[in-house]
Amino acid sequence: MIRVEKLSKTYGRNGYPAVEALKEATFQVVTGEFLCVRGASGSGKSTLLNILGCLDQPSAGVYWLDGEDVSHYSDAPLSRVRNAKIGFIFQSFNLLPRTTALENVEIPMVYGHGRVDRKRARQALERVGLGARADHFPTELSGGEQQRVAIARALINDPALILADEPTGNLDGKAASEVMRLLEDLHTEGRTIVLVTHDPAVAAYASREILLQDGAIVSDCSLGARNRGEV
Amino acid sequence: MKAAKIASEALRNTGRYRLRAVLMTLGILVGISSLAVLSSIGEATKRETMQRFKNMMGTFDTIIVRPGGGRSRGMPTLVNVPPTLRFEDANAIASELPEIKSVAEVQNAFDIDVQYRARTTSPAVFGVSPNWLALRSEDVGDGTFLSDEQNLSLARVAVLGTDVRNGLFPDENPLGKTIRIATVPFQVIGVLKSRGAGPAGATLDNIVLIPINTASRRLFNRDFLTMLIAEVKDPSRSYETTEKVTALLRERHHLRPPALDDFTVTNPAATMAQVTRAGTTLNKILTGVSLMALMIGGIVIMALMSIAVSERRKEIGVRRSVGAGRGDIVQQFLLEAVLVALAGGVAGVVIGVGGVQVLARFQRLPHILLWQPIAGAIAIAVGTGVLFGIYPAWKASRVDPIQALRS
Repeated sequence: MIRVEKLSKTYGRNGYPAVEALKEATFQVVTGEFLCVRGASGSGKSTLLNILGCLDQPSAGVYWLDGEDVSHYSDAPLSRVRNAKIGFIFQSFNLLPRTTALENVEIPMVYGHGRVDRKRARQALERVGLGARADHFPTELSGGEQQRVAIARALINDPALILADEPTGNLDGKAASEVMRLLEDLHTEGRTIVLVTHDPAVAAYASREILLQDGAIVSDCSLGARNRGEV
Repeated sequence: MKAAKIASEALRNTGRYRLRAVLMTLGILVGISSLAVLSSIGEATKRETMQRFKNMMGTFDTIIVRPGGGRSRGMPTLVNVPPTLRFEDANAIASELPEIKSVAEVQNAFDIDVQYRARTTSPAVFGVSPNWLALRSEDVGDGTFLSDEQNLSLARVAVLGTDVRNGLFPDENPLGKTIRIATVPFQVIGVLKSRGAGPAGATLDNIVLIPINTASRRLFNRDFLTMLIAEVKDPSRSYETTEKVTALLRERHHLRPPALDDFTVTNPAATMAQVTRAGTTLNKILTGVSLMALMIGGIVIMALMSIAVSERRKEIGVRRSVGAGRGDIVQQFLLEAVLVALAGGVAGVVIGVGGVQVLARFQRLPHILLWQPIAGAIAIAVGTGVLFGIYPAWKASRVDPIQALRS
C-alpha cells in the first residue's frame, strides 16, 4: 500500500537555517495494516502524515502509494489521489461551520466522479450512529459526534487508506473509545490505517508502531501481543 | 459534472453567508440600477429623435444640397439664399452621377397668403418635383399627387398638408376647389397624410405643394433652387457619393481652391448620427457616476471576498484535503463573487426598470422597455464580479491547506 524510501522534508526560508523535519524515513505499510506513528511534538510525525496524505511533498526521497510514485505529482493529480484513495481524520474535526452534518459528509463527492449522492451520505452517517443528526450543524453536536461525522466524511469515497492525526486528542474517555472502536472496525474491514498520536493508550490499538524522534525513525516494531489498556 | 457540483456548492455558500452576500450586492445594485435607468432613457430618446428625423426627411438614403456656403440660419427660402443652385445643377447630378437614383428640385417660401373664400392661412409653400412624394416617403390621403405632365405644362394645381386643409376647408371637401396662393388661382387635387412633428417638435403638416415649374415661372418668378434632394443608390456609400456631388458642383460653378463652396451638401444620416450621439453632458456625468458606483461595488466585493477567504481558511483546507485542486477552489470563490454580482445586477435592473416606469409617468418619456440595455447591464454586473472576484479567488487557491487545517 505504502512504500517510502529515504523520505526527507526540509523547511528552509531565506536567511534562516534550514529545519530538517523528516530525515530519510524508509518503511513500508502493507494493505490492511494498522500503523501507529508515535513521537513527541516536533518529532516530525505530522510532517510525515501530511506527505503520506498527499497534502505536502517530500524534499527528497520517493513515495509509492498503491504502486504509483506520487512524490512528483502536480496539484491536480495529487488532488485526485487524495479524493479517491485517502480519508483524513483530524484532531480538531475540521467540519465546515454553517453546514449540516449531512452536507459535510457530502463534500468529498463534489470533487470525485459521479454525482453527489445524498442517500450514500445518509448511510455513512447511519453507519457512525448519527443518522438522526443529519440536519444538525456542527455547533449543535458534541465533540465525539463531530468526530464521528468527520469519520463518515472520510469514508464517503470508500478510500483504502485512512490517515488519522490525534483523532482522540480533543475528546473525553468515552467519546475517545467510541472513535477508536470505529477505527478498529475500519481496520477489520481491510482498510489500511495510519494513526499519529503521542498517547500510548491510543497507540495500543495498532498492530505496528513507528517511533519518531527529531525527524528520524528510532524504532519500528510490530505489536503482535496486544496489551490494550483503556483509553 | 464537477463544475456543476462546485457551482452548487458556491450557491449554497452564498446562502450560508447571506448577510455578507447582501452587502456585497449593494454597490453593484446601485450602479446597475442607475445604468439601467440611463441607458433605457437614452435609448428610448434616441429612437424618438430618429423617428422625428424620419418624419421630416422621409428617408435617410438622400443627400441634400442647399445654395450658399457655410451655415445659414433656419430654413432656406427664396428670400434668404443666394441664386447659386440652378435647375441645370440638378439635371447634371441626375444624369452624370451613376450613384444617384433620382433628384427632386425644391423652391420654397414662407408667409405667403393662401386663401379660400373668406379664409386665409400662411403655410410654407413648396414647389417640388413630382418625385418628391417617393423621396420623402409621403402618402396622399385624398385625391392625387402632382404629375410630370402637370409639371411640364405649368399646371396650377396644389396638394395640401392636413393643417392647411383643416384651416381652409373645416367642413368641406377641398378636392376640385380653387384656392389662391398670393394672387394666383390653383386647383386642389390632393391632400397629404399627416406627418406629425419634426425634430424640433413643430408641425410638418402646415404646407402646400405645387409643381416646381409652375412655382418657378408662375408664382415666385425665380430660376434658382432653395434645395435639391438626391436619392443615392447605395446608402452605405453615401459619404463617397456626397464627395462626388460636391466635386461635380464645384466644377460646374467654376470654383477652384482657395474658393469656398457656394453651396452646402448635407447627408441626413450623418446629421442624424451627430444629433443622437451619446446625448448631453448630464447624461455623461450620470453615466460616470453609475460606472463609479459599479467600480465601488466591485471593490466592495473584492474586499469582502478577501476577508471571507481569510475567515474561511479552514473550509479551504478541508476542501483541499478531500480532493479539491487549486483550480476547483478558484472556481468556487470566483463563482461566489459572480453569483453575488449577478444577483446585484438583476436586482439593479428590476429597480432601474421600475424607476424608468415611474419617471415615464411624470416626464412623458417614451417608456419603451428595451432588452439590449438590460442584457448589457447584467453582462456588466457579471463582468464586474469576474474582474473583482479574480484576486480573492486566486488568494483562496494559495491558502496552505496544512496550516489551515492545523489552526
